[in-house]
Amino acid sequence: MKKTKGAFLIARNNSQVDYVKQAVFLAKRIRKYLGIPTTVLTDSVEYINHNFDAGVFDRIIPCSATQQQNQRLYFDGSMHQRQATFNNRTRSQAYDLSPYDETLLLDTDYIISNSLLKNCFDSQDDFLIYKDSTDVAQVRDEQEFKYISDTSVPFYWATCVFFRKTPVNKIYFDLVQHIEKEWDHYRRVYQIASQLFRNDFAFSIAIHIMNGFQEGLFAKPMPGKMMYTTDRDILWQLNDDQMMFLVEKKGYLGEYTALKTKGQTIHVMNKYSLGRMIDLEMSNE
Amino acid sequence: MDERLDKALEFSNYMLTLNNQKRLLTEKYQEELLYFYDGCQFTVTKELINFVKLLLDNEQDENAVLTDDNGIPTIVADVDKFYNSIINVYFVASNTYHSEYIKLKNQRSVEKLVDYEEN
Repeated sequence: MKKTKGAFLIARNNSQVDYVKQAVFLAKRIRKYLGIPTTVLTDSVEYINHNFDAGVFDRIIPCSATQQQNQRLYFDGSMHQRQATFNNRTRSQAYDLSPYDETLLLDTDYIISNSLLKNCFDSQDDFLIYKDSTDVAQVRDEQEFKYISDTSVPFYWATCVFFRKTPVNKIYFDLVQHIEKEWDHYRRVYQIASQLFRNDFAFSIAIHIMNGFQEGLFAKPMPGKMMYTTDRDILWQLNDDQMMFLVEKKGYLGEYTALKTKGQTIHVMNKYSLGRMIDLEMSNE
Repeated sequence: MDERLDKALEFSNYMLTLNNQKRLLTEKYQEELLYFYDGCQFTVTKELINFVKLLLDNEQDENAVLTDDNGIPTIVADVDKFYNSIINVYFVASNTYHSEYIKLKNQRSVEKLVDYEEN
């Protein structure tokens, strides 16, 4: 029997960020560049149906709109910031909720601009995740994306994960759920100072445990490298596969350098500027 | 501001942008050098090309074991076909890299480097 494949997104809005809008935008790009369907897990089904074309999704899976005590700052460039609830505690359920045999689990702010990720579905490995990454700006210390803390284990990006439904992957995702539930314990064991729950950390800790509490081969790398811009940078233009960023200038708060990418998939962490570009794009449709 | 300082800062900004664009172009080139075969990922390097050519020169053109970027071994059934594919990937990526690089090098302002169009 032919294996089903697709992308899985999670979109839970908070007072500051419209993740649903991002998911709609990304689902179109997934179809365009990767040619696979997208399922979204959301607590805003009505909002999708009233404001967007729900047809961009293969399936919409509802979840309850619980608010968590997980506050973080959202920056819009280096001079503007707001605090909001970070509703990120559903990612570990991706294994159980994904309707596909082979799933590409993505953050809604991962802007697909080429077909490279298609190759995951042909991979011999059942679990792929990015470890290597490149800051598009390259003016910041990238240590926080190398290890989950100065004295801890390697960092893996939960932003983009490929998995097949296998018994071993089931164990892995159950373990991530357990880490999430007992976060306060695990963050102390793994020497993470911040109380903020982050999926990147939970996924990284689970990989370390799956490898027998050492570095190992449980997780294989995704194709290429994860490229990202942080929320201190600004997405200024988005035109098909081309993006222009204003990236933070080292040592000059509030000053930026322009930078253009073409055909490169980028993790855009500045949700405000991404939202503005999506609005512009949607108004032109 | 002194005109000389003005010009120096303008040039400094230009160089910063040029270097950033060159770095991104190199990243893109590395990504385009990836070749996927039988679920394995190969970065097409001059070393890989030479090794595969060596196999062919020694008439090992069937069922050769190659290890990919992640150390996974795989059997390449048709080495000649594999060779032609990686050569193609190498030249398509390199030619694109070259033309983009030359285009970049000839831009003389920040606006042109990032191809900026005001809305």
